[in-house]
Amino acid sequence: MVEPARTRAAAHDLELVALAATGAREAFGELVRRHGSAVRALVRRMGADPSLADDIAQDAFLAAFQQITDFRGEGAFQAWVKRIAARLYLKRARRLARLELNASASGADHEEGYDGPSLGDRMDLDAALRELSSPERLCVSLTYGAGFSHAEAAAALNAPIGTVKSHVKRGLDRLRRRLAPDLPNSSESAAHG
Amino acid sequence: MAEHTFEMRLDRLFAESPAFADADLFAAALEARLNRGWTTRRLLIGGLGLVGGIIGAAQVLSSGLTERLAAALRAAHPIVSNQVASIALAHFLPEGFPVNGEIFWMSAAMAVAAVGLAIVRFVREI
Repeated sequence: MVEPARTRAAAHDLELVALAATGAREAFGELVRRHGSAVRALVRRMGADPSLADDIAQDAFLAAFQQITDFRGEGAFQAWVKRIAARLYLKRARRLARLELNASASGADHEEGYDGPSLGDRMDLDAALRELSSPERLCVSLTYGAGFSHAEAAAALNAPIGTVKSHVKRGLDRLRRRLAPDLPNSSESAAHG
Repeated sequence: MAEHTFEMRLDRLFAESPAFADADLFAAALEARLNRGWTTRRLLIGGLGLVGGIIGAAQVLSSGLTERLAAALRAAHPIVSNQVASIALAHFLPEGFPVNGEIFWMSAAMAVAAVGLAIVRFVREI
């Protein structure tokens, strides 16, 4: 059954998921339209270049469609796909040998010709993330963007949990200085433990 | 407290994803991939069914089963199913095999169901 586009646009995510579980690809297409940008943005924030991020996001949605009956609706659909995408990115980065958690945490991996943040970028998360080292960026994006706990991130990265926590903490401190200089600095990250 | 406030702000910033200008293009490309996969799957199922059907039909024709069945029906035996079962037994099983007709056909039905389930599982996997 092909439901009208207007009905699909008004449907709740869970209704669309239920339709997609019956094989309705148009319903799944609507979910992609709703959440595609968020998933693509997450993979970019984790450190993928735009083209790789789009590939990963597409693969994540395809995997989500194939496993749609596994989605029980306990959390948001977008969060579920983000977790799939994050794991796919880690897998791909590992294969491309781009995953290195022991990189220096003091220096950010700036792109060529990057001149530092402009005033207009002050509240721009993406620009702020580019200030972080790759491991910090990856760990912060995994925990705050993909909703991984520190333990889940450590398992996914095959790294000690202490390493993940320290990357998250250093990343948070640097992000705070950049995004919220008005807030006083503190020493320990409490959430996402 | 400040830590928590910032983390909440960060959660919110991560949740506010930018809207990409090519979002519709991205969705269309993905739908095309989904449709392509679906078409491939349908072709594969159809192809497997066709091959299975051809093999089955060839087996039936080459075995002369239809002639035997027609002969049995012409004989107008009161219990046709027994005839069919006996033909099947005579044709498919070695002599002296300790199985009667009902068990043979039930086993055949179960085997067909098992093959069907295996095909469904295989298709789901790919």
